[in-house]
Amino acid sequence: MERGYSIKTKPIYGTLVWQENATHHFLVVAGEGGKALLKLFQQMVPKQATTIFYLAEDDASKKYADTVQKMTGETITICDSLESLLDSVKTALENCYMGTQFYVAGEEGLIWPVAKTLSEFGVDDRNVFKEQTGSLARRVFCVHCETINENVHHDIHQCGTCGLNLIVRDHFSRHWGAYMGFMVDGETPGEIPAAQEVYP
Amino acid sequence: MSALKVKVTAVEEVAEHIKHFSLAALDGKPLPYFSGGSHVVVSMDINGRTHRNAYSLMGPTSDNSQYQIAVRKQEKSRGGSVFMHENVTPGTELEISMPTNLFAIHRLAKKHILVAGGIGITPFLSQITDLNRIGHDYELHYAYRSAEHAAFREQIEALCGDKAFFYPENETGRLNITELLSKQPLGSHVYVCGPDPMVNGLELIAKQLGWPSTAVHSEKFLAPASGEPFTVSLLQSNTEVVIPGDLSMLEAMEEAGVDAPFLCRGGACGRCEVEVVECDGELVHHDDYLSDAERVAANKILPCVSRANCSRMVINL
Repeated sequence: MERGYSIKTKPIYGTLVWQENATHHFLVVAGEGGKALLKLFQQMVPKQATTIFYLAEDDASKKYADTVQKMTGETITICDSLESLLDSVKTALENCYMGTQFYVAGEEGLIWPVAKTLSEFGVDDRNVFKEQTGSLARRVFCVHCETINENVHHDIHQCGTCGLNLIVRDHFSRHWGAYMGFMVDGETPGEIPAAQEVYP
Repeated sequence: MSALKVKVTAVEEVAEHIKHFSLAALDGKPLPYFSGGSHVVVSMDINGRTHRNAYSLMGPTSDNSQYQIAVRKQEKSRGGSVFMHENVTPGTELEISMPTNLFAIHRLAKKHILVAGGIGITPFLSQITDLNRIGHDYELHYAYRSAEHAAFREQIEALCGDKAFFYPENETGRLNITELLSKQPLGSHVYVCGPDPMVNGLELIAKQLGWPSTAVHSEKFLAPASGEPFTVSLLQSNTEVVIPGDLSMLEAMEEAGVDAPFLCRGGACGRCEVEVVECDGELVHHDDYLSDAERVAANKILPCVSRANCSRMVINL
């Protein structure tokens, strides 16, 4: 990689910190993102109301939710699939007003579908606090078959839908919530560089 | 700056101290179309001096045969609004800039909340025609001192129907901004134009209520502040200009024949920003554009509204 060069569209994730100028805090976390949630409540239990959604696909990843619940008495809605989580989030958003601050912690596979749902409600992605936890794997959009590949660790990645070998560009699309993947051997069919695990 | 030559076709007093001017192109051709929230800068020749004031275009945005502006006669006028009220009559020829928009509606918003104080109603009149056309949800909240100050109320009622709310201060008291901003749906954007305390107050309340700054839009047309005279040395033009106490840096430079860049002339857009190479005193910023960090660095100034307490300043122009 060239020194001093960076891609402006590439998201830079932060650490969740309470935004005290808010009337309501709305948090969505998954798996290891629970640790970010716990750290947030260790900073402070906020004065304002909180709404917390937790995606726990197995019992083990629920541990942080239990700790937060015990520590604070806050109600945490636990969902067992991304689909049901997004449905619950949508229902809850119907009753939210301006002044609600949004926080998301988890892998990119959680962060960007949640950001997309929020944007449908007019919440600008710039105003959603995000912390990336767990795997650094990327979401990749195959520009050929227009599908999203989740949890992509490698660059060259074979598209799970159309089977093309994709080079994953660092350009990130807010619209798709994913990096762009292009056929790597379009010019010279069959010449496919070795895949490297760059996002463990 | 490209300019449009226009002729005043009608003048009407629409409220106490507020006159409405209709302008048509001198050559009879259509004027450029503009978007809701746009303004033009009107040049006036006042006793041999060119004076420039920005006024919002009131629309409708579908009409390019004429531009509509409204001018409130300012008590502490530097001459511009008094000139418009006393010297400009049907038939007067004026020069105006091309329309510029620093106060456009945000197209991705789910709902638009427009808040006007007094003459600050003018940019909303054109925004409303845009909002009506694209069918977005909006509310207009219009505050004014008393019934005789309620310029364009009938026109607004006709345009907005039940989306308009009126607050004559002497009858209903002040518009409660906290209440207004407390229960707005997600995706709302608020727009405010009015006197400084109203704009600053709304911005502060919105911030305290957790509104992101990206959803809060404001427009103020600042008159340049007066102050002590000082000398500006222009590095590239290799000339010196004395800035009198009652003219802005920009006005004084223009008078001296310097072709300085400008757009809004109200400290909002940043177009006139210039590098301060040297200053033997303190910069006095009046703009809404420079960041706090830039103010601390003290190496930039917006000559349209800001000046300095100094004897000499060197700028890179």
